[in-house]
Amino acid sequence: MPHDLLMSRRAFLIGCSVAASPLLTPVTFAAAPGDNRLVVIILRGAMDGLDVVRPTADPAYAALRPTLGAAMGPALNDFFTLHPAAAGLMPLWQAKELAFAHAVATPYRSGRSHFVGQDALENGTGTEDGGQTPSHDGWLNRALFLMPGAGANTAVSVGQQRLLVLDGAHETDHWFPVAESPLSSQGQDLLSVVNAADPLFAEPFSEALHLARAMDGEKAPKGKLAYGQLGTYVAERLMGAARIASFSFGGWDTHQQQVKTMEAQLTSLSDALLAMKAGLGRVWGTTLVVAMTEFGRTARENGTGGTDHGTGGLAVLAGGALKGGQIFGKWPGLSDGQLLSERDLMPTGDVRAYPAWALRAMFGVEAAGLQSTVFPNLDLGPDPGLLL
Amino acid sequence: MEAPSLIEEIRFGYGPRMGSPPSPGGLEPERLLAQLTAADPTAAAWNRPSMADRLTLLVQVRQDKMAGIDVSPKSNQSVAMDDLKRIEQDDAPTFFARPAVASLGFVERLVNLWANRITVSNVSQGVGHHIQTFRDEAIRLNIAGRYADMIKATLWHPAMQIYLTQTESVGPNSPVGKRKGRGLNENLAREFLELHSMGKGYTQTDVTELAKLLAGMVTDETGPHVAKARAEPGRKHILGVTYGEGKDQIDKLVEDVAHRPETAQAVAFFLARHFIADVPPPDLVQALTATYLAQDTQLVPLYRTLLQHPAAADPNRQKVRTPQEFAVASLRLTGLTGMEKGMLGFNKKSMMVPTYLTNMGQQPLKPLRPDGWPEVAAGWMTPPMMASRIDWATDLARATGDRADPVALVDFALGDMATPLLRRAVAGAEQRWEGLAVLIASPDFSRR
Repeated sequence: MPHDLLMSRRAFLIGCSVAASPLLTPVTFAAAPGDNRLVVIILRGAMDGLDVVRPTADPAYAALRPTLGAAMGPALNDFFTLHPAAAGLMPLWQAKELAFAHAVATPYRSGRSHFVGQDALENGTGTEDGGQTPSHDGWLNRALFLMPGAGANTAVSVGQQRLLVLDGAHETDHWFPVAESPLSSQGQDLLSVVNAADPLFAEPFSEALHLARAMDGEKAPKGKLAYGQLGTYVAERLMGAARIASFSFGGWDTHQQQVKTMEAQLTSLSDALLAMKAGLGRVWGTTLVVAMTEFGRTARENGTGGTDHGTGGLAVLAGGALKGGQIFGKWPGLSDGQLLSERDLMPTGDVRAYPAWALRAMFGVEAAGLQSTVFPNLDLGPDPGLLL
Repeated sequence: MEAPSLIEEIRFGYGPRMGSPPSPGGLEPERLLAQLTAADPTAAAWNRPSMADRLTLLVQVRQDKMAGIDVSPKSNQSVAMDDLKRIEQDDAPTFFARPAVASLGFVERLVNLWANRITVSNVSQGVGHHIQTFRDEAIRLNIAGRYADMIKATLWHPAMQIYLTQTESVGPNSPVGKRKGRGLNENLAREFLELHSMGKGYTQTDVTELAKLLAGMVTDETGPHVAKARAEPGRKHILGVTYGEGKDQIDKLVEDVAHRPETAQAVAFFLARHFIADVPPPDLVQALTATYLAQDTQLVPLYRTLLQHPAAADPNRQKVRTPQEFAVASLRLTGLTGMEKGMLGFNKKSMMVPTYLTNMGQQPLKPLRPDGWPEVAAGWMTPPMMASRIDWATDLARATGDRADPVALVDFALGDMATPLLRRAVAGAEQRWEGLAVLIASPDFSRR
């Protein structure tokens, strides 16, 4: 009975391809009501905040960073300068669409393990040993339950693996850009037909095709360009139903050759942020991006042109919704006696407070829930006034 | 021994392997149970170094380190570390190639399902040295024994102790605790009660008291014991029972917890959900719970109860294969191991099976959370994971399907269970390999 195959072939005509992408970064989207958009970026590997936003006026800085600080970047204010590779973000800073929170950290103190640190950052735990909440889920997922009117089912995540930060009991979808398939279009049609006939497989399969069609003709590029592409893609999703997106961005573990690595990393990060702004257009005005890392790096550069695992770090904030052009947090100083264990930037603030205040201002999540369910043991502190 | 039937291979194994035709007929419980005492002729190739061997090497690594030798894996300065590295590289294919060639598919499935119920994940430093022997010794040696013995073995295994940070836990009133001001880490105590045994019916107090009982437990080159220096002195009150100090008391606690009705219920539900349906038949769960409690936590009677239930023989397959089960089933269908080199369209040196598995959502030996990989279809059905299954099917079919007879392969893989629609779609493909791709990427093939 070939007739039903023909019908189905028309109904499920693919027009493009289904295959894995070289873009390995997982992106997660969740729908929430209102016009505000929140993007959470997990910077994996422990970004060196002291190199991104350099306290060049701190009397101890120059001696701690003789080679890493050699090439000067643009001044942010009379105390801090920006890494030269992030100079492309200066227009955002000038437009007050870029800010930083310095000397921040998660409550994880008992070690400096990437895995434990990243899990702690994504789980939102309040423990010193990085032990997770009993639910072992992500804080952003728990926050979805506390957003008045948040939808339960319009969520899509993109990339190879789900991100812990958005994983949990609240439903989220999952997707990532695709490249070209070697199956002939007839082979694809046949595959569509057999998948469409199975109730369990029909929806995810057709969603895969639908999303693949949206990416038709756009092969995910490799290397540096990839993060620009990713930013564009995230913007597209946020222009649709999604209001919250999350993706991860690795490569920040700079034990050696930090000058070279940071140039590539910060160029990519800038590309992603600028692509999001471009893709969002007017909507950028109601968007906030929060980029966080598991911990900072040692204040003193090491013997191999890099830095080792530290404590106090940096969060990057961007977006038209932001009251930017400022460095949030309390600067602890780098002189003798001001460092933690005589080696790390002393954390003076809980990094979780920034996404917490963002959730409160953008999605109406109550303080009580933020300080217990979303981020256990968080002291929200006074409102830093993140948003316009 | 007699080959399994097709439904036995599909629901309770990894699917039929090319060249090993299934026995005719339906499900025969005793034929599957006979696998548990049979020898698998393919097993000899997977005789990996033991936990004791690896602990000895780790002692040497520690000695090298104290002698000032760089023992980081990339330095190549420590002979013992290089030995470990080589061993672990050779361990890696066992996750997919061992079940791909196995004659006793039920045995391989049981190893994987219990290793998933009692999860260790290679996400923290140090776990990787012990994951293989966790699976080979703590799990595999106990699949036909008592559940109480399995969770005793997993609790004491170094992989578990490192993964759930038991190694960090110190009794606050122990000598080390008092001297250094250190305290308990409840991670393993909690997950033992929540994930490995009861799942419900315990309190935070029970967790804390259990953490006190477990403080100082360690398995090293001298064997399993409780290090006095870190052990919390005094009595511990857990679930209404009082325990003292030392290894015997920990083992007694495991026995007590293993025999609790909550544990019986949790194990029964897990087993029924794994093999039969995401929402398993309540009467089956009830029957399994009763068997478990009546038979001193023995697993073989449990499997027998499962296999004798009508749902075990139902040709309607309600479960979706995990990525590992799916990839292995397709390797078996095409007669491969996944370790082949120079396959058309694949990387020249390797088929990169772990990369495909990662893309399908199952990075080998690295589940994201201590509750393991998803045991229900929803965890594997996201569009990108789906697209990755299609990728694998396409690449594998293109590499192997030039001269395949896809129509005959539908019969071999699914027999009477193949839908007429799948038969038409496979037969309608333009090329042989595309027909094979449609078969492997079809819902029929992903269901078990």
